[in-house]
Amino acid sequence: MSEHSICVTVNDQPRVCTVKGTTTLLELLRNDLGLTGTKDGCSEGDCGACTVLLNGQAIKSCLVLAVQADGATLVTVEGLCRPDGSLHPIQQAFVEAGAVQCGYCTPGMLLAAKALLDANPQPDRDAIRAALAGNLCRCTGYMKIIAAVELAAARMREGL
Amino acid sequence: MRAIGNGRQSIDLTPCALQPLASQAAEGIGSQVIGGRVVRLDARTKVLGQALYPGDLAVPGMIFGRILRSPHPHARVRRIDLTAARGLPGVAVAVSGDDISGPSTYGLVTPDQPALARTGGAVRYVGDAVAAVAAETPELADEALARIKVDYELLPAVCDMQAALQPGAPLVHEERTDNVLHTARVRHGDLAAGFAAADIVLEGHYTTPFVDHAYLQPEAGLASVGEDGRVTIWVATQWPDEDRRQVAHALGLPVAQIREIVTATGGAFGGREDISVQIVLALLALKSGRPVKIVHSRSESLTATTKRHPFEMHYRTGATRDGRLTAMEISFLANAGAYASTTLAVVNTAVTVATGSYEVPNVNVDATAVYTNSPATAAMRGFGSNQPNFAVEMEMSKLAAALEMEPVELRRRNLYRAGSIMLTGQVLSGGVGAIKALDAAQSLSPWPPFAPRLASSSQAAIGEHGFAPRRAPGPGSGRAGDSKRYGVGTACGCKNVGYNLGLEDASGAVVEAYPDHAVVKIGAVDVGQGSSTIMAQLAASKLELPLAAIELWASDTDLVPDSGSSSASRQTFVTGNAVLRAAAEAARRLAALGPHPPADALPVVAKVVYHAPSTCAMDPLTGRSERANFAYGYGCQIVTVEVDVETGEVRVLGVVAAHDAGQTINLTNVEGQIEGGFVMGQGYSLLEEYVLQGGVPKATTLATFLVPTILDIPERIDSVIVEERDPEGPYGAKGIGEMTMLPTPGAIAAAIHDATGAWIDDLPITPERVLRALGKL
Repeated sequence: MSEHSICVTVNDQPRVCTVKGTTTLLELLRNDLGLTGTKDGCSEGDCGACTVLLNGQAIKSCLVLAVQADGATLVTVEGLCRPDGSLHPIQQAFVEAGAVQCGYCTPGMLLAAKALLDANPQPDRDAIRAALAGNLCRCTGYMKIIAAVELAAARMREGL
Repeated sequence: MRAIGNGRQSIDLTPCALQPLASQAAEGIGSQVIGGRVVRLDARTKVLGQALYPGDLAVPGMIFGRILRSPHPHARVRRIDLTAARGLPGVAVAVSGDDISGPSTYGLVTPDQPALARTGGAVRYVGDAVAAVAAETPELADEALARIKVDYELLPAVCDMQAALQPGAPLVHEERTDNVLHTARVRHGDLAAGFAAADIVLEGHYTTPFVDHAYLQPEAGLASVGEDGRVTIWVATQWPDEDRRQVAHALGLPVAQIREIVTATGGAFGGREDISVQIVLALLALKSGRPVKIVHSRSESLTATTKRHPFEMHYRTGATRDGRLTAMEISFLANAGAYASTTLAVVNTAVTVATGSYEVPNVNVDATAVYTNSPATAAMRGFGSNQPNFAVEMEMSKLAAALEMEPVELRRRNLYRAGSIMLTGQVLSGGVGAIKALDAAQSLSPWPPFAPRLASSSQAAIGEHGFAPRRAPGPGSGRAGDSKRYGVGTACGCKNVGYNLGLEDASGAVVEAYPDHAVVKIGAVDVGQGSSTIMAQLAASKLELPLAAIELWASDTDLVPDSGSSSASRQTFVTGNAVLRAAAEAARRLAALGPHPPADALPVVAKVVYHAPSTCAMDPLTGRSERANFAYGYGCQIVTVEVDVETGEVRVLGVVAAHDAGQTINLTNVEGQIEGGFVMGQGYSLLEEYVLQGGVPKATTLATFLVPTILDIPERIDSVIVEERDPEGPYGAKGIGEMTMLPTPGAIAAAIHDATGAWIDDLPITPERVLRALGKL
């Protein structure tokens, strides 16, 4: 099996990795880089638990080959909190709004929400639903996730 | 070996500013922490991506396990040839049931399911485990699986419940004389007299499908063997002590040789009550001497694990002209799948709520559970209550239509209240909030409840149709050119809290208290529902401490007591009572030590095993059980739907969901259970079906087994919390986890009828079924 050397910037850290042609970005993050905050719920693009940011876009890392990420800038859930360890406003809002139950969808939800709020600081509910449409949650019924994104958007607009 | 996930959940609340959404109570001490919004203890860890689920664990020297599963619904295993798998470099171990020295079988009630098949044994559903390997990499493990040769003698499969009951049907378990796993019956009152007193008699036949729990985290685990020969299993589960007993039984080991540590658990909903990877993990670790990890793929998760029971239900209902129920004659046929699991208990529970939450003086129930060559069916949120509740609510909706009575009023006349006699003969005493929930839902659901939102987008439709319940709108009653119809539906439900029908329900808790902090040790698993936070709140309330001073140890069989399963909506009530009593005792003894207790007197340790009020087994001939259950929760949901009569698509626009769970302990958790339970109920109503064709699964991805997405949910879920306190519950709390999805299918189906005039008696109510009911297919 051929191997490839790739360079990625993950959570502001440049990383050089050797991967197989068949290695997915999800496998690279979890197995090679030890970033297990990104979850694997189906490995086939149906659940969204593995959502990360690739050059600012929310993507399902199980559907992207690691070699396709060569040169890309990636953000995973481990890269969301601030350098001083304080929570990102989206994380803080998820905590406060009760948007977390079992927590397995949470990392993917957070990153899908971040991609949305980076592009659209004042999303309406339809925009929030559209942005999170590829992320399944079996626990919460989504209501508190929507509330959390709205809370985070309001705080981020105020520069909190 | 690096120590990982030792089961000690260190609680760190301080960085979480409990701001706008957090009430004052959340920051208070003692009893002030009860009833408000309290941020769950693990929320911060989870949003940081630091919570460790079993698939996240890694230890040096770890190898990767895989399980070979039967592609056939029914076959005899003539030979299992592991030679080629064992010969592959990098393969540490390859085993079948022949390598297990113990009985190899497991099961919560009857151990009839082999952990792995044996030569000469049978496989009984597509997905039954046959052999297992562990290798240096997951890829090598896959390759080794492909090299295992199994010689199957195909046997006739029986997949249909009716066919399985026919004389001469193929036997799922050949040692049995037929495929009947269990029967239960009720003879309450005088059925003939009940029907004689009826002015109207209805009859209906209802069916419900196989459903998967579809928690987001597929089953996974890690096992390793220590120098002392003890096996430690890290796994996501609902009941570590029971897992441990079943692993020990299957492998023929002393229970004390097994330790189980619960990792972060990514949802459960009943699906982790049965064994998944635990036995095979322990076996592979023992045989290889290496730490072994298994992670199921989604398709393996969907194929291998237990499902909700499909039911076929027949109801004959008698009532007087003024809407008093006089009689119900009921039959259930439940699909047990290939193995026993908890079917006996599920079917008995179904029988106890065969009349839903309504008092009916004359009732006969005959229930049969039958083995088929399908996945084993077992616990799933509601535990046998959902299926009959759907049928009963359909009967009530049809009765209201036939009597031209308001559906809410018909229900109010028949709902359980204090003093009601259930079909088991149990007289309900305190804590019956059924009518309160109905009234609360109705008062907060002014029809049309969603007019303002719809008025902007669909003004004409509103103006034309309105939302007032219509008795006979019928297809084609809508505005010309507009295919949308709107309707409102009501349904109720009740769910027992805790184990029932004579099964002892007890939970242990240990509290180690110091003047300024305490450690709470419980075996209750927080599967996502938030039980750990509840236990910390209850302990803080008695110890007069802030929540941040409570350290919680949950779910390591070496360190904490058995607190039973996280099922039956029981943890708040049963383990909660244990924690409350242990904390109270610790507080009393601490107080007795005076303001400056000597260091050698600390910590004060209080150990409690709380026994829930005892219940009675059902009489096998009459179903009589004067105390079938020790507590019930009640609920009522009023749903508004939009039905497109051209496409058959149903959209749920909103719901008012009123639930009586007794005293709220954590408001955010209760709302979370109502919202999540409603949406799961919506999926059960409209989307979810684990399709099998000839025993072969056809819905083995989340693109084919559909659960609700954020685009499917209603605009609004208005949670109404009714607090009819239970005299025995902690501060009067009951339970909330399951009841929240009970009324949903009946309410949605009633709303669809209100919108279109069509009764749809089979779940899920797919667009195809809607169009067929409207005569358009």
